[in-house]
Amino acid sequence: MPAASPAREARRGFVTGLPVTAAFIPFGLVLGASAAQKGLSMGEVFLMTALNFAGGSEMAVIQVWTWPPNILLIALITLLINSRHILMGATLVPYLRSHSRRNCLIALYIMCDESWAVAHADIRRRLHLPQHACLSLPFYFGVAASMYVTWFTSCTLGACIGPVLGDIRVYGLQMAIPAVFLVILRGLWPGVRHALPWLASLAAAGLTWRAFPGAWYILAGSVAGIAAAWLQGEKKNG
Amino acid sequence: MDEYFVLIAILVMASVTYLTRIAGFLLLRNRPLGGRLAAALEAAPGSIFLALLVPTIFGSRGPDLAALAVTVLAALRLPMLPTVLIGIGAAALARLVLS
Repeated sequence: MPAASPAREARRGFVTGLPVTAAFIPFGLVLGASAAQKGLSMGEVFLMTALNFAGGSEMAVIQVWTWPPNILLIALITLLINSRHILMGATLVPYLRSHSRRNCLIALYIMCDESWAVAHADIRRRLHLPQHACLSLPFYFGVAASMYVTWFTSCTLGACIGPVLGDIRVYGLQMAIPAVFLVILRGLWPGVRHALPWLASLAAAGLTWRAFPGAWYILAGSVAGIAAAWLQGEKKNG
Repeated sequence: MDEYFVLIAILVMASVTYLTRIAGFLLLRNRPLGGRLAAALEAAPGSIFLALLVPTIFGSRGPDLAALAVTVLAALRLPMLPTVLIGIGAAALARLVLS
């Protein structure tokens, strides 16, 4: 196979990712509007989504946002939600190894669930090539950079129209973020035999939420879930 | 004053997130991750998303609870966007009933 030009590969990445990239727009708008509702300015929403670029953690942080922000809680939530990136980054290691360290660090900066998934799907199609050629970096940047720009642009736009909407509960928009969490949870469902951490999290978070004011329930739930998974040990199968 | 805290919060978020993105690449380059640590890492996102839903789950009453039930049913079968639209619709309807 003749090597395709980087520009063509980037274009192929952009086109391949387009259906997913387009789906970022409504979520960005909702996130931006919810953030504006909590009192964040357009510039702050732009900074958060452009520097952090991890929608799940941004939605979670906005959900529990207070004035002044609880920075320790925000750091913990961000770490726990984004801990999956550690495993995702590790799976790209064999294909990134041959590229320059600088390019790797930039590539990882804009790695999100969706660009990671599209990249892996492309790697699977190119497995007949030598390992260093399985991941086409221009293709990856075509996917990931378009998702990145789309995300912070639509979030900022959402923050711009958010204040015009007034109380978002009138439109039912307060259900948007929980709905996203529910669909994410369906994708994460580990099966009945491995559901113990989920049960532990729900029970601990529920009890703590009833008993104590503030956001301790988040910490209690996630610690209980992670501890249960640790105690259960290695996943055998299914 | 609060503006500074927002800026700090955003910078902390961004640093933590970038750390998770490069940790796998920098630390796990040469050894596979297994056993309890992998199991715990795998359970982290589910546990926290579930905990985040607790106020919505245990704090909803009447029409709000019905809207949540509709959203859960949608989330079990439908992709992200339709689920979000159904959730928003159900919650708006619940508000209409309440007011």
